[in-house]
Amino acid sequence: MYYTVGIDVGCDSVKTVVMQFDSDGSGEKLILDDLNKFRKRDLKKVVNESYERVLALKKLRHDDIAYVATTGEGEMVDFRRGHFYSMTAHARGAIFLNPAVRSVVDCGALHSKVMLIDERSKVLSYRMTSQCASGSGQFLENIARYLGVAIDDVGELSLQANNPETVSGICAVLAETDVINMVSRQISTQNILQGIHLSMAARLVNLLRMVNAEGQVLITGGLAKNIGFVSAIQELSDQDKRLNVNIVSEEGAIFAGAIGAAIWGSFRHNVLLAKANSRPVCGSVC
Amino acid sequence: MDCCYIGIDLGSTTTKAVFLDENENILGRGITNSRSNYELACQVAREEAEINARFELLKRKLGGDPRVASQLDSVMDNLACQYALAQHLKQLEALRNEVTSIVKNWIHHKEDTDEYLEAQETIFDFLVLQAYQDFLPGAEVQSDFFRDLATSLYLKQADLVTKERQLSFERLVGVFDAAIIRVENKSFALFYREYLDFARDRVVEMEMFKDLKGNICDAVLDITKKEFNILNTVGTGYGRLTLPFAKEQIRSEILCHGLGAHFMFPDTKTVLDIGGQDTKAIQVDGSGIVTSFQMNDRCAAGCGRYLGYIADEMNMGVHQLGPLAMTSKKAVKINSTCTVFAGAELRERLAYGEKQEDILAGLHRAIILRAMSLLARSGGVSSEFTFTGGVARNEAAIAALKKLIDENYGEIKINISSDSIFTGAVGAALFAKRDPKGVMADLEISKLKATNRAARPVAEQIA
Repeated sequence: MYYTVGIDVGCDSVKTVVMQFDSDGSGEKLILDDLNKFRKRDLKKVVNESYERVLALKKLRHDDIAYVATTGEGEMVDFRRGHFYSMTAHARGAIFLNPAVRSVVDCGALHSKVMLIDERSKVLSYRMTSQCASGSGQFLENIARYLGVAIDDVGELSLQANNPETVSGICAVLAETDVINMVSRQISTQNILQGIHLSMAARLVNLLRMVNAEGQVLITGGLAKNIGFVSAIQELSDQDKRLNVNIVSEEGAIFAGAIGAAIWGSFRHNVLLAKANSRPVCGSVC
Repeated sequence: MDCCYIGIDLGSTTTKAVFLDENENILGRGITNSRSNYELACQVAREEAEINARFELLKRKLGGDPRVASQLDSVMDNLACQYALAQHLKQLEALRNEVTSIVKNWIHHKEDTDEYLEAQETIFDFLVLQAYQDFLPGAEVQSDFFRDLATSLYLKQADLVTKERQLSFERLVGVFDAAIIRVENKSFALFYREYLDFARDRVVEMEMFKDLKGNICDAVLDITKKEFNILNTVGTGYGRLTLPFAKEQIRSEILCHGLGAHFMFPDTKTVLDIGGQDTKAIQVDGSGIVTSFQMNDRCAAGCGRYLGYIADEMNMGVHQLGPLAMTSKKAVKINSTCTVFAGAELRERLAYGEKQEDILAGLHRAIILRAMSLLARSGGVSSEFTFTGGVARNEAAIAALKKLIDENYGEIKINISSDSIFTGAVGAALFAKRDPKGVMADLEISKLKATNRAARPVAEQIA
């Protein structure tokens, strides 16, 4: 039995997981996850603290970890062993969470990606949002703060909407002002939030159509926990005659990137072991 | 009875109000953040401007008193600081009460209520102590607004306290976010008499003003009782369609900025206004009337909010960005256009060890580059050129602008008034005085050479 750690450094938070494997590299189990928002604190410090905390909670020492893998903006983590491209990591994490998934929608703080994958988590094609933050997770958080709603309550609240008010999907900053206007027009918080979810979802459903998604679609990233948002995507993709998809959301989907990195880390670890065993030791560090 | 005209500029980020006396002198200026309640923002800005006018009258009064004249500036600075302190303490007290009531009404985690209440108390005790140190003449203030000041200090303290006591930082911040909104939606300027008394009492206790006690007390009492006779009020700005005014009391912000700039600098030909979420390039004629203009659309990149985001990101006040950027030797080229992305780019660059000031210098240059393209489309830059709006208070933006204008248009006289942020409100106050019947309100700017009418929010379409 051995352990790996996956660290997904996002734009506004770091996700850390500890995975456990049997000695032959099979039987992967997620044994601990930890989510931390940066909240204007020093990135490196927050990442280090998170790593130390998960080890302490599982009573593990640094030497007990076979491989520390990062993804996202993880190149800045200096104690990592290897770094994996975020799409590869998210795809692998999605297959771990739900083997039937064939598309992944990763909704992050700034960017959203949609990818088509096969059963071995190979990325077949993908689409990303461009150089603009309209409809991003960060934007939703700004709005929530403005409305005085805790981000964890946004999903629940938005489901109570009876007449969602759409926002201009143009610019995150201008849309913020749109929302201010809505508040002054006395539109309910529920309707504002669901309107925002719908405008965000519309962008993603477009991307889903572009990659020709079919079957099970998993939502990962920071917005995976938001039931209002997930239901908005389902609603809009149901309305789209050209799309035949079923949107699923799994417990722990927010950790998909970190999980994927930890699993790829385990894979690398085994490859390195095999290499080391088949060759005389040369003292080189892999 | 002093007669006054009021102009109110309801911007997306801040709301400004100006009191103009009968000789068209600016008597009082007020500014507040617009929050999500325009009516309240107007009221607060107006109240702030009225207080400011009272202070102006107080200064005139004390300046005419030979015993005080030699120490006039010092007396006024101390009074103003103590006044601001009194108001800040009042708001802190309200915030403490809100936070307490939110925690007491928790539905989940009721068992932790006491621990969190204690933590809050510790944080607020610190905030109050800190306020007494921060509100001194000459002290550097992070922001003019209670929300910003309270938020940045609270977050720092909450981080420390939660680490010490093993509590959840997220929960403390969540409570704060809910409480600050409630406090923001109350007006505190109504207590001005109370604040003035507080300020007076603290100032006359000071060793250096002991001998002036009688003079100061009399003057303060006198202006506290003063009443203003408001002859007309005109509103403008982003939120003007929601202003509680009659149609003839509303003017387009383009007109107001043109006239305001012309009032400050009569030879103005070109005006650049960089506000919270729009940038306007305006050409005016010899009497301050707009002949053509261009605005940004679809995107708020390169406006004041861009800097606001960056300041938030760095946990600094917007005021502090300019001075820091000025210390840069080598501006970094910023790749992001989008405001939100630029914030992320900043974070990444900092994490990779780039210097704060170099990144900031690059950000300021990026803002001005966007403004330059608007200026070019509106008809270029002719002398004299007047730079207005909130960003015109930022020295790094000014430096970048001067450099780019010099490179592209050669020798141009550039005007920047210390009142630049109030330009729109000044224009509105002038319309209140010169055009009480609202003839200009019907002026159709759309007939001018404006071409960018696409994709602006409805409230922004020029009537």
